[in-house]
Amino acid sequence: MSASLSKSRLQGLGTTIRHRCQQLLGPLALLGPAGIWLLLFLVLPTLLILDISLVPDLRPEDVGGAYGLGNYSRVFNPFDPRFDSVYLQVIWRSVYYATVSTIACLVLGFPVAYWLAIMAPRRWRNFLVVAFILPLWTSSLLRSYAWISILRPTGLLNTFITWLSDLIPGVDLPTQNWLYSSAAVFVGLTYNFLPYMVLILYASLEKLDISLLEAAADLGANPRQTFWKVTVPQTLPGIAAGCLLVFITSMGDFVVPTLLGGASSMTISRLIYNQFLGITRNWGLGSALSMILILAVSLAIALLLKYGDRDSVKEA
Amino acid sequence: MPRKRSLYLPSSSRRLGSTRRRFLQGSAAAIAGVTLSNCRQNLSNQAAPEADPAATTPEEGGASGGDSGVLHVYTWADYTSDEMVNAFTEKTGIEVIVDIYDSNETMLAKMQAGGGDAYSIIYPSDYMVQQMIELNMLTKIDKERVTGLENIFDKWQDPVYDPGNSFSTPFAWGTTGLLYNTDILTDTPTDWDYLWENSSALSKRMTLLNDVRETMGMVLKSLGYSYNSTNPAEIEEAYERLIEIKPDLASFMSFGYEDGLLSGDLAVVMAYSVDALSSIAEDDTLNYVIPESGSSVWTDTLVIPTTAPNVDAAYEWLNFNLDPAIAQLNTETLFNATPNKVAYENLSDEFKNDEKLFPPEDLLAKCEGIAPVGDAAAVFDEFWTRATSA
Amino acid sequence: MSQTVSPAISQSADRRVADVELCQVSKSFGEDTAVNTIDLTIQEGEFFSILGPSGCGKTTTLRLIAGFEQPTTGKIIIQGQEMSRTPAHRRSVNTVFQSYALFNHMTVKDNIAFGLRIKGMGRSPMQQRVADALRLVKMEAFSNRYPAQLSGGQKQRVALARALVNRPAVMLLDEPLGALDLKLRKEMQVELSNLHQQLGITFVMVTHDQEEALSLSDRIAVMNDGNIEQIGSPKEIYDHPTTPFVADFIGDTNLLKGVVAFADHHLLKIQTPEGTTVLAQPSANMPADLKTAVVSVRPEKIHLSQEPPPDEGNCYSGYVKHVMYLGTHLHCVVQLQTGECLTVMQPSRTGLSWASTTPIYASWLPTDCLALAA
Repeated sequence: MSASLSKSRLQGLGTTIRHRCQQLLGPLALLGPAGIWLLLFLVLPTLLILDISLVPDLRPEDVGGAYGLGNYSRVFNPFDPRFDSVYLQVIWRSVYYATVSTIACLVLGFPVAYWLAIMAPRRWRNFLVVAFILPLWTSSLLRSYAWISILRPTGLLNTFITWLSDLIPGVDLPTQNWLYSSAAVFVGLTYNFLPYMVLILYASLEKLDISLLEAAADLGANPRQTFWKVTVPQTLPGIAAGCLLVFITSMGDFVVPTLLGGASSMTISRLIYNQFLGITRNWGLGSALSMILILAVSLAIALLLKYGDRDSVKEA
Repeated sequence: MPRKRSLYLPSSSRRLGSTRRRFLQGSAAAIAGVTLSNCRQNLSNQAAPEADPAATTPEEGGASGGDSGVLHVYTWADYTSDEMVNAFTEKTGIEVIVDIYDSNETMLAKMQAGGGDAYSIIYPSDYMVQQMIELNMLTKIDKERVTGLENIFDKWQDPVYDPGNSFSTPFAWGTTGLLYNTDILTDTPTDWDYLWENSSALSKRMTLLNDVRETMGMVLKSLGYSYNSTNPAEIEEAYERLIEIKPDLASFMSFGYEDGLLSGDLAVVMAYSVDALSSIAEDDTLNYVIPESGSSVWTDTLVIPTTAPNVDAAYEWLNFNLDPAIAQLNTETLFNATPNKVAYENLSDEFKNDEKLFPPEDLLAKCEGIAPVGDAAAVFDEFWTRATSA
Repeated sequence: MSQTVSPAISQSADRRVADVELCQVSKSFGEDTAVNTIDLTIQEGEFFSILGPSGCGKTTTLRLIAGFEQPTTGKIIIQGQEMSRTPAHRRSVNTVFQSYALFNHMTVKDNIAFGLRIKGMGRSPMQQRVADALRLVKMEAFSNRYPAQLSGGQKQRVALARALVNRPAVMLLDEPLGALDLKLRKEMQVELSNLHQQLGITFVMVTHDQEEALSLSDRIAVMNDGNIEQIGSPKEIYDHPTTPFVADFIGDTNLLKGVVAFADHHLLKIQTPEGTTVLAQPSANMPADLKTAVVSVRPEKIHLSQEPPPDEGNCYSGYVKHVMYLGTHLHCVVQLQTGECLTVMQPSRTGLSWASTTPIYASWLPTDCLALAA
């Protein structure tokens, strides 16, 4: 009797396990392909970079080396004899470029997105949105070259300024070499990433309930008050998402600083490039710098997920 | 003619031809790691099977087995021409696919990462040949299968970077100097010091090569030191001197300066002779000068990597390029100086007497090849990173 | 189709001040005319409803008063001042939105304080006002919640409080109870009515729910297709509709259309195409020389019996086609011998036999039905 009891219990257990397996199998079948993809092409490479970054000054031909934090301490630890402040300087400059271009994107992008989402004629809206993101379909390399021909001393901008100066007597507008300066980098980054900002803000603003704006006006708020007290707080998650996306992509971009920035525009992504494909070939240091960039970006993404408007990102 | 010492070759990354299309090509390769030229070259090879008769030479390579197939070549932009590639295909029946790189280091990184397994021929520069030999990446050349090595100038018969040409055959050589717009510079630069003396007048209108050994070496040379100094104090001194003109530099760039130079946005740039001469060929308001105190002399070579899938075709390519007629064509069309004595002698006086292409012996004597510097490489890197990052 | 105000209302209008006046107001969106040249006068302290089917222009009318839309033609006068072009934020009206339109990034308290804050009111009087408003809508316990944490009814109360706290001259309510379930709606109706009595300010409510309009309003404007069909007290609208549309839209009715066979001041005789002859009293605004007319008979005015009723009037034989039990009432469909169908409401306790074969008599007094201009 006890034998049959335990047998039935066993059977019960078997059924339970089978049931559990079936419960797990469904999600696994769905998540499997993407999971394997992520594991093979994201998680493993990242771990590999982490591994390499922990071997000081590893070069590609080295078979291996002793683990250590040398690559990191070179960047961060002022007491390390090999410490060089240029690395922090470069990181700081990258953050500075990314921050300024993010702010510029927000300031330029918000009115555009607002107009597209709220004021533009409805039937033109999709067309206008597509028209606005059209530049994204061309290579960022070509777009940067276009800016070179605008910003260089004999470029379109200076030609225009000269023309304007000649047109208005008494006004002498200064021409200058706009290219190879921080300003050129800001212009290039802002131009490149503005469509992303607009797209995300558009997705966020489009969901904005117009009756909230009417409610604010109804309660006596003038348009400016309505904007700051209702529109901005309501779209804050979209603003956060757009800013973080632009910030992250600006940090990682090296085409624009390379082509428009000139001699004093080294950024962390260019520095990493140099460690792998330049003469230095210091994979250890390059990996450490990559990890620093990855961590900074991950932090930003974590903030985005926590405070951002995931829906807007998804729709964009 | 270069002294033996100067054969201790030079250089490193170089790039770029003169037209805008080429410029885009090269920079795309450099920046996006994409070889746009791939498609172009493949297409043009198929679309224009007709060879330039001048380029077709019936000389048979010693080991030419007449085998066909596909040969993947990994080289600098503008180191092959359609007519030369077509002539090769016509002669051997081997289809050629050309990919380009913009620096020795990029090429090395790709080969080391296993991304270059398709290539049977690569074009490393001298010091890179040495490095690749040390890394066991090159196939020892079977001299039995090579014809025409005897046509090479003596000084390339036993180069320092590859004694006895065991792993490489010399393809082309050149110098590094200053390329400038004669409409803008009222005087003629004669030496590297020109950059320092006129830095404020030419502010943001000068560029230097984006290359640690060439640029740091140039500053060392301008201080009276060797390109290959291993003395940290000298290197630091060079760094300090580089920093002096850095605020007046538009950029560190190894290619992509032609437009700026022609429009007058740039006045003077540090350039490789091969790029400089092809730019001058397109617009003679530009001029090139090899600084009096000397510059670097570099040699680019042909090698067969150990991973080469089609060694037979690779030998065909070596022999084809050793052919004096082909070497002559390359000099005439691509503006690289040939190390091939027969080809040199066959050149017209116009080419032979061009001191920008073939500098006079006394000037060459002051030039140096860039050589490995051992542990000092780290010092170079450190100061270079500081100079470009600050 | 604008209506002149009935005499009874004109009298009350004399006593009171007009709070909101619309003069010849129309509003078009491109080709579409949403509001077609209407005149409307709303008295101070009145609970006024604008009733109509969806798309009739009632919400547009409200939005014109609120200032969210500008009239294409005509004038809007609020408290004696022309406000046709004044933007919404400078009008002394407050709106309760159909979707509540609460600011979900603010707490209940901050939502309610929004208008006062904009006006720059000091901290302590503002808190007092907010607390009062919260008490008025019985939401004191929820002051620190966010709108997402509230039920539909609670949101409704907050939306009311947010408008009330500003002490507007006129409260505009756009389908205020439309999103609530039936039971809650009934409760809120009572509260709205109480609030109105307590505060004494003018309420203008837009609704498509005739029952709501009838039970809450002092006066109702019935709109159809951009026009006002009739304005009047609930009783006037219900008992004395002036158009077939109003008769049909307000409550259930049977409409019988026919030719006028005889007419005098008190009685019309109408012949339907099927051959039924109906006697009816003419509506107040009926032109004398009418050729065709529509008779409206409310279902509850029709009496069913198995014997012909003794009194003179409209009496027709037929049989019961269909019966629905509605608790206190029975809803019957009676087919007359002439072929027409009538909807009839009978108290459920009538001991009649409803077998479909049993002949039955449907009858009503001529004074219980109304002849309207077709």
